[in-house]
Amino acid sequence: MNFSFSDDQVLLRNSVRSALDEQCKPEHVRAMFDDPRGYGEALWGEMAKLGWLGLPFTEEQGGAGLGLVELAIVLEEMGRAAYPGPFFATVALGGLGIQLAGNAAQKDRWLSAISAGKARATAALLEEHLDWDPASTTTTATRDTAGWTLSGVKRFVPWAHVADVVLVPALAPEGLSLFLVDPKSSGVALSPMVGIDLANRWSEMRLDKVAVGADAVLGAPGAAGPVLDSLLRRGAVMASAEMLGAARRCLDMSVSYVKVREQFGQPVGSFQAIRHRCSEMLLEAENAHAAVYYAAWALAAGADDAAIAASICKAYVSDAARKVCGDSIQVHGGIGFTWEYDLHLYMKRAKALEPLFGDAEFHRELIVRHLTSAR
Amino acid sequence: MDLNYTPEDLAFRKQVRAWLEQNLPKDVRTLEERRAWHRKLYDAGYLGMGWPREYGGGGARPMEQAIVADEMARANAPAPTNGLGLGIVGPTIVVHGTEAQKTRYLRKILSAEELWCQLYSEPNAGSDLAALKTSAVDAGDHFVVNGQKIWTSGGAIADWGLLLARTDTKVPKHKGISCFLMNMRQPGVDVRPLKQITGSSEFCEVFMTNARVEKSDQIGKLGEGWAIAQTTLGYERGGRALARITTYSSQFNRLVEAARRLRRHGQPLLENPVVRQKLGRIWSEIEVERYQALRTLTQLERGEHPGAGGSITKLSYSEFEKRFMELALEILGPYGQLTKGAPQDFALDIDTAIGERGSWAYAYLWSRAGTIYAGSSEIQKNVIGERILGLPKETRADRVGGKA
Repeated sequence: MNFSFSDDQVLLRNSVRSALDEQCKPEHVRAMFDDPRGYGEALWGEMAKLGWLGLPFTEEQGGAGLGLVELAIVLEEMGRAAYPGPFFATVALGGLGIQLAGNAAQKDRWLSAISAGKARATAALLEEHLDWDPASTTTTATRDTAGWTLSGVKRFVPWAHVADVVLVPALAPEGLSLFLVDPKSSGVALSPMVGIDLANRWSEMRLDKVAVGADAVLGAPGAAGPVLDSLLRRGAVMASAEMLGAARRCLDMSVSYVKVREQFGQPVGSFQAIRHRCSEMLLEAENAHAAVYYAAWALAAGADDAAIAASICKAYVSDAARKVCGDSIQVHGGIGFTWEYDLHLYMKRAKALEPLFGDAEFHRELIVRHLTSAR
Repeated sequence: MDLNYTPEDLAFRKQVRAWLEQNLPKDVRTLEERRAWHRKLYDAGYLGMGWPREYGGGGARPMEQAIVADEMARANAPAPTNGLGLGIVGPTIVVHGTEAQKTRYLRKILSAEELWCQLYSEPNAGSDLAALKTSAVDAGDHFVVNGQKIWTSGGAIADWGLLLARTDTKVPKHKGISCFLMNMRQPGVDVRPLKQITGSSEFCEVFMTNARVEKSDQIGKLGEGWAIAQTTLGYERGGRALARITTYSSQFNRLVEAARRLRRHGQPLLENPVVRQKLGRIWSEIEVERYQALRTLTQLERGEHPGAGGSITKLSYSEFEKRFMELALEILGPYGQLTKGAPQDFALDIDTAIGERGSWAYAYLWSRAGTIYAGSSEIQKNVIGERILGLPKETRADRVGGKA
């Protein structure tokens, strides 16, 4: 039993933190708000060099061969920096999806390109009704002589506008299937969906009779259900890691601020009303840390309780991050409500992730299903 | 990071489970039955596990202690007695006591031959413990003690008490307190049970009128009492970390079974989405407490001291217990309020410190105590704020002008 980071994991965290402190300052995050692509190519190249983009992939694929605990460590730091860019979409969605379900040729082609910083990927997991249950997919795939034809509408596809490949779930005659789609294909129309977190990008993705080759099926036709379940669990835990990082940043900024902000002749942090709130924020952050890294370990190790641990993680952290980030604005007072102060960058990152891969309510229902169906 | 138990720990758990299956007593109601159970556990090496071997302990790792407590919770085994003796008094004597004190007291704590209580809180010294007024006056060959203590767990059965008393009124309040071992079986000590909102009396009030404490029973130097009390000494620290969670899970499972039976608008309560949401929330909190227990045990196994981190743990689980019990009584409706006559499906049969088996109602009422005793939630938040987050101390009336 050892619930603490190894020396290598601590080293990884420190190196990611110092790189992002250096290259992903709040000014960089803000500069990307109006950038057409929304992320910096220089930092992306640096991330490839540092091995982050291939972190969970094998060495043959140009990756580092590390696991989900390490990926969670990187994503926590990205939340802490409100990193603007397609890292999560590329590595934790597109990349992990291809790793989970792809055949050798698909893995060879995409995972080495992703690791090298030459390709960006994402996954289109939501449709109009926002049901995270993969069985709700209405996008269709019909077979023709050359391959497949896909039609449907996907929403909230992260970073699709810069992606080279999108994982698209669609209902084929064989059942739910996953397709690799080039978003520049004819029949694909992307339109931006601009949320409160301007350092994050979503698109609506319309597929109007999009033709893809026979080799575009990821895994076997009709076999996507379990893959999507796995991918959603990973997404839920990795999003929680990023929310945890954002919440930690909000807490750190709050603690620093209330030590120096004076009212009634004293630092406001000396008042119990403020101090107790900060202590509760720390409690939530610590519990969220335990939930994130337990679940990341359980998924990586294939533990018996991995699925329920992922739901517990997302349910707990969604609520905890909302409370910590919200309270951080409260203890800052008016300054925390201004655009120029950086607090809202992190609060919005956590808020943007809160409903993704199932919100707290969605996962609490799954938790109860796990508990009551096991008998 | 590896959250699997080691093969050694798994084997040890199996051994403890087998022992408990063989040795679990049917019923433990009287003090003598509880003492006999305590001795059996001690003889098997399952008590005083973390104490140093030279004083009769087992020198066990925190994980082994946690596993024993956890298996006892799983078996719904009665608690041993002398918890304060094992957890606080003994370790205090080990660290601060004289050789004579160690020889005289330690083994009898382990064997429960002598039971101990802790004489700290007073009617006007609760969260502000250092304001205590009970006095110990030097009378040549002994001290004379006068004053009143309250919230003394196990006071009614204790043979001895670990006492904090004021020996100097002229110095700042934290500096004038000393620590003693006091015989409870003497004419100057009057113990009265304190009836709580549970209707039971786990706590007592203790009145001391010219009570006698021998000079040889002073712990540490005069004026060091506060510092001694502040040192977190427990050798049983791994103790309840896992057991607490196991108790929560078994209570949660009973609650889910009750929700299957109970109906609302013709539907089982367990199919009600609002109830499911609330159950899902509580289960996620139970599991997060378990993950945190594993983090704490990791620290303890490495010989690290959680320090003020212990305040986060205590704040987290004690506040959680209130939410849990509130949900239990919400789901159970009036069944949850029964202290007698609950049908089997809606009853909670738990061990208590008072000899009678407990109910959901008892557990609910007890959950109110957890956020008050051993440092209220408000005090824990002060500790977290000051010692972990480094927030400035508040201006306190008793510290104005640089005193204390």
